[in-house]
Amino acid sequence: MAAALAPISFPHPGRRALRRRLADFLGWGLCGLAFLLLGSATVWILVVIFLRGMSALHLNLLTQVTQGTAGGLLNAIEGTLVLALGGILLALPPGLATGIYLAEYDRGRLASIIRFLADVLVGVPSIVVGYFVYVAMVIAFGWGFSMAAGSVALAIIGLPYICRTSEMAIRQVPRSLRDAAFALGASDARVTFTISLPIALPGITTGILLALAIGVGETAPLIYTADWSNYLWTGHLTKEPIGYLTYVIYAFITQPFESAHALAYAAALLVTLFVLIIGVISRMLLVRSSRAL
Amino acid sequence: MPNATRNPPETGGGIDFGAALPGASGNETAAGRERIAVRNLNFYYGSHQVLFEVQETVHEHEILALIGPSGCGKSTFLRCLNRMNDTIPGSRLEGEVALDGRNIYGPGVDVIALRRRVGMIFQRSNPFPFTIAANVAYGLKVNGLARRRSEFEAVIERSLRAAGLWDEVKDRLDKPALSLSGGQQQRLCIARALAVEPEILLMDEPASALDPITTTRIEELAIELKARYSIVIVTHNLQQAARISDRTSFFLMGRVVETDATRKLFTNPSRQETEDYITGRFG
Ligand SMILES: Nc1ncnc2c1ncn2[C@@H]1O[C@H](COP(=O)(O)OP(=O)(O)OP(=O)(O)O)[C@@H](O)[C@H]1O
Ligand SMILES: [Mg+2]
Repeated sequence: MAAALAPISFPHPGRRALRRRLADFLGWGLCGLAFLLLGSATVWILVVIFLRGMSALHLNLLTQVTQGTAGGLLNAIEGTLVLALGGILLALPPGLATGIYLAEYDRGRLASIIRFLADVLVGVPSIVVGYFVYVAMVIAFGWGFSMAAGSVALAIIGLPYICRTSEMAIRQVPRSLRDAAFALGASDARVTFTISLPIALPGITTGILLALAIGVGETAPLIYTADWSNYLWTGHLTKEPIGYLTYVIYAFITQPFESAHALAYAAALLVTLFVLIIGVISRMLLVRSSRAL
Repeated sequence: MPNATRNPPETGGGIDFGAALPGASGNETAAGRERIAVRNLNFYYGSHQVLFEVQETVHEHEILALIGPSGCGKSTFLRCLNRMNDTIPGSRLEGEVALDGRNIYGPGVDVIALRRRVGMIFQRSNPFPFTIAANVAYGLKVNGLARRRSEFEAVIERSLRAAGLWDEVKDRLDKPALSLSGGQQQRLCIARALAVEPEILLMDEPASALDPITTTRIEELAIELKARYSIVIVTHNLQQAARISDRTSFFLMGRVVETDATRKLFTNPSRQETEDYITGRFG
């Protein structure tokens, strides 16, 4: 091999070879630089959040509610969980149903329209979704700032992710398994529920977790719909503002108080941990499911 | 079955009837009454016609082998017999496939019930990624054929025995089916198909991905099963067709060139194309 290539570029490195080496060097250099920038930015963000968050973190945060710009984060932690889970609960039935429909029941026009809409929905800025829910639910329906309005906003944002990941996961179920079930006399619905869904479950779960992570990290749509509350949620679906962690980050970091900054960094650490843990779980699920098939 | 190696399949050479498995009649008379009658069957994938005016019959207690070069429509024909092609968008069928005198493509036919009566074994074994027991039980559940645990257990044992797999798996029914060997997986698929007590078994090259010993086992199994079922088997292995089938049908470019008693078709075919194919002049 080497002998065959030799006459082309070696042993006399001409202008061409030099240029190639230069391009090579530049290419790798730029790649390395980009990696360094990206890597260092990520590491820097994580380090700052962890250092400042850890020093602000203590047990009171988890047991007390916020008082003005001091106190704890219990109300915000609870609110974030309630809103994110509420959003998932609302988005899951239509998202999964649409994913099943796209994967197994429609190969025509309607499917491509739905796919296009889902892609558009992914691209809509979340603050626009928040504003829409504000106009429609908070004002027109008279729900006020509330858990319901916030959950609807998060559901709309999570919907396309759940829908598309479910579709992908179901599509990856081998055709031969579906054929085997059909040949045994299973109906379409039967095959969906006893073959496709169980086998696609890890992939579907990944989509749900992704939507959950996005919900936990959202701020803008919640400002328009959930507002903020210093108190624990009393369980009213409407007309009761509810707190959440990202609000603390957004609103408290600009306050001129040390206690406010500490709360903001603690909230940032909690949100980051949430998202990291969800990410790790979904990674593990994906690895397990690809091994199973 | 301790004597699985008794008749290793031939490799190459002519068609040797000396190697016919015990129980394979390979004889001229069709075994029983007519179960399936196919008349003037045309089949299209979109605008591409794959089957032309196919006529065929399948009798009770017989093995009908389908042979022919790759792409001539054997699998497509087989899938017409249990309406598996229904699941392929854009496909279209003309003509009639009658099961016990009733057109299965006629109005008001219950496709689900049809597929229970006409079972199918695929070329590549395709066990569900569930346990061994759950694989065999699947058809029972889907068709509501068993209710109590003891009923399930009885059918699972009976089916696995019939597929010659019971002794190998009886202690690990709750283990994943994918932990079985390739040959065991294919026999599991056979057990899964037998569990719903079909009347006719369609086998699409069931042994093409398997080693010679397992192939012999599946052939022996087919001959055993013939006592209770009718079997239509697609095979690329002419020796296999000669060993196990009662009648053989030669497909060429979507047409049935001839169907005859296996011994006759392999020793004294009436058509030149058949002779060319079985003597290896093409295909
Ligand atoms: N799902 C499909 N859509 C379109 N065309 C198909 C489809 N399945 C098969 N065909 C075509 O139909 C023809 C017959 O295919 P078929 O699978 O029935 O052949 P076969 O005799 O079983 O071949 P082999 O021996 O290779 O399995 C081929 O030309 C094939 O390309
Ligand atoms: Mg085929």
